[in-house]
Amino acid sequence: MKKRQFALILALALGLSLLASCGTVLEKPEENTGSFQLVDMEGRVLNLEGPAERVIALTASDCEILFALGAGDFVIARGQYCNYPEKALELQAISSGSETNTEQIIALKPDLVIMNMMDQTLKQIAAMEKAGIPVVVNSAESIDEVYKSIELIGKAVGKDMEAETLVSDMRKNFEDISSKSIQGEKTVYFEVSPLEYGLWTAGKGTFMDEIVELLGMKNAFPDVSGWAEISQEQVIERNPDYIVTISMGTLGQPSPTEEIMSRRGWQGIKAVSEGAVTEIDSDEIARPGPRLVSAAEGLYAFFYGD
Amino acid sequence: MPSSTVIRGGGFRPAAYGAMLLGTAFVFIISVCLGSVSVPLRDVFASVAAALSGEKQLLTGHSDIILSVRIPRVLCVALTGASLSLCGAAMQGILRNPLADGSTLGVSGGASLGAVLAISFGSRLPFFGGGGVVVTAIVFAFMSLAVILGLSHKLDRSLSTNTIILTGIVYSMFVSSIISLVIAFAGDKVKTITFWTMGSLANTDYLNVLTILTALLLCASLILMRSRELNAFALGEDNARSVGVNVKRVKLELLIAVSILIGVCVSIGGTIGFVGLVSPHMTRMLTGPNHKRLLSASMFFGACFLMLADLLSRTIVRPMELPVGVVTSFIGAVAFVFIFKKSGRVG
Repeated sequence: MKKRQFALILALALGLSLLASCGTVLEKPEENTGSFQLVDMEGRVLNLEGPAERVIALTASDCEILFALGAGDFVIARGQYCNYPEKALELQAISSGSETNTEQIIALKPDLVIMNMMDQTLKQIAAMEKAGIPVVVNSAESIDEVYKSIELIGKAVGKDMEAETLVSDMRKNFEDISSKSIQGEKTVYFEVSPLEYGLWTAGKGTFMDEIVELLGMKNAFPDVSGWAEISQEQVIERNPDYIVTISMGTLGQPSPTEEIMSRRGWQGIKAVSEGAVTEIDSDEIARPGPRLVSAAEGLYAFFYGD
Repeated sequence: MPSSTVIRGGGFRPAAYGAMLLGTAFVFIISVCLGSVSVPLRDVFASVAAALSGEKQLLTGHSDIILSVRIPRVLCVALTGASLSLCGAAMQGILRNPLADGSTLGVSGGASLGAVLAISFGSRLPFFGGGGVVVTAIVFAFMSLAVILGLSHKLDRSLSTNTIILTGIVYSMFVSSIISLVIAFAGDKVKTITFWTMGSLANTDYLNVLTILTALLLCASLILMRSRELNAFALGEDNARSVGVNVKRVKLELLIAVSILIGVCVSIGGTIGFVGLVSPHMTRMLTGPNHKRLLSASMFFGACFLMLADLLSRTIVRPMELPVGVVTSFIGAVAFVFIFKKSGRVG
């Protein structure tokens, strides 16, 4: 009996709090002239009183976008993994990802927080919004979505024009690279985790897959989605023409390329026997930001030998 | 555990060993042929023949997969299965506890803590099979066993099944919290560590095979030589003492052998749970409780069990892979309940 009462009260409380939180969003009137509305990548509607000037960027790609838009001066703190451009490293680093500390963020009094939804919970966002801090959720999973997210961030910090220019530059660069490339049947195997820790590759729905297609190649693992663990035998069986790894390697150890070339049983793979193995910067190709262009250029040079 | 008389008499006749060997070989061949890429039996034999004779023209398109990936992996899996199963059977005998196993007692957890510490702070030996990780894993396995048994003894002098298992669970949780703490400090080595806690024998090589094989030959001969004493333990330690068993010494020897085996297995494949629980019990249903038969048979059985579990783990979601620990824990958890219920009814 007691349990049931408790459950009822809990349900009521939950319902009320939900109502209350809906209410705050809907009732907020558009007061002064500078205020505007934003719809973030999760479809959440935000009301900003003006372009943000004290921004916390928790995700590395958002930090890169802000600096690329010339809004680096607006960033007051960065997530701990934001390491580009170099100027960003001068900013205060705060915990992000699954260790995101809401109290730390509120204490810095930002007027905007930009983050992705990978590790954050709606509860954390609600807590920050309750403290009067608007939160933009940004998560791009394709190049088109990256354009959208750049425009979104540009709007949030009052750099609409710069965002437009950046997006059209990126578009143009990608089109150039793509038109130079020759559509073919050659396959590329991406390695995102080396043999030592279990092989992982990037399948459909990743930037690596999208860029490889742009460059006229085929992903060796089109039947896998996202990042997934696969077996060595599959790689040997599929016999890719190229191997691209994002491993960084450790000092004093063979480089990731050397390690791949020396694997037992891999000698018969076309990429290995022809030496078509390379390393690329994982930050460039895995982050939904402007540097995807340079990742694509690097891969173009590797595939076509320019 | 039945306790009618001290069981005398010998092990299997040679024919029985032959049959078990044949069965294991059969499972081995199936495991080598099937996988995320299926290989015709003919290619398997041709590849092996090519490797043994050195005649290149026998090589087929699948030879690389068979010789460099599939065979070392399946060998590692078979040897790990045999080792863990033997350890389980021996621990169940020493402790007279049907639920004893490296994973339920927290010994595997302790060994992985050792491995994790060695990776994070020890000499940089990232390649498994590297000496530092193996040795620390062994030392931690033995220390864990000592702590768990010591603590259980303090809490409950009769060392009842439930006390030991509860202590093991508490110890496992304690260890996993320390592993989380180490991960928080280890930074960039996190990837290696999470690999360790998952339990997988994918990507093992011939060096790993050699490592486990050496440990197994050494420890198995030691444990098998103590079959008679393990039979005597079934009647209780006092009775064992009265039939002339040096209880302390034998116990220590066996526990060291078990720790070495578990330590080596964990340092190569991580924690693969419940193998030592499930397969000795299945074996016991066929052989009865005589350790002279049980120990050797459960090695064959454990090898087959883990080979089949691994086969499942690499084919069920192909082209992706599941860690084999997921499969064994799933089967093992169900078996645990079954064994617990059964042993409760008996004793």
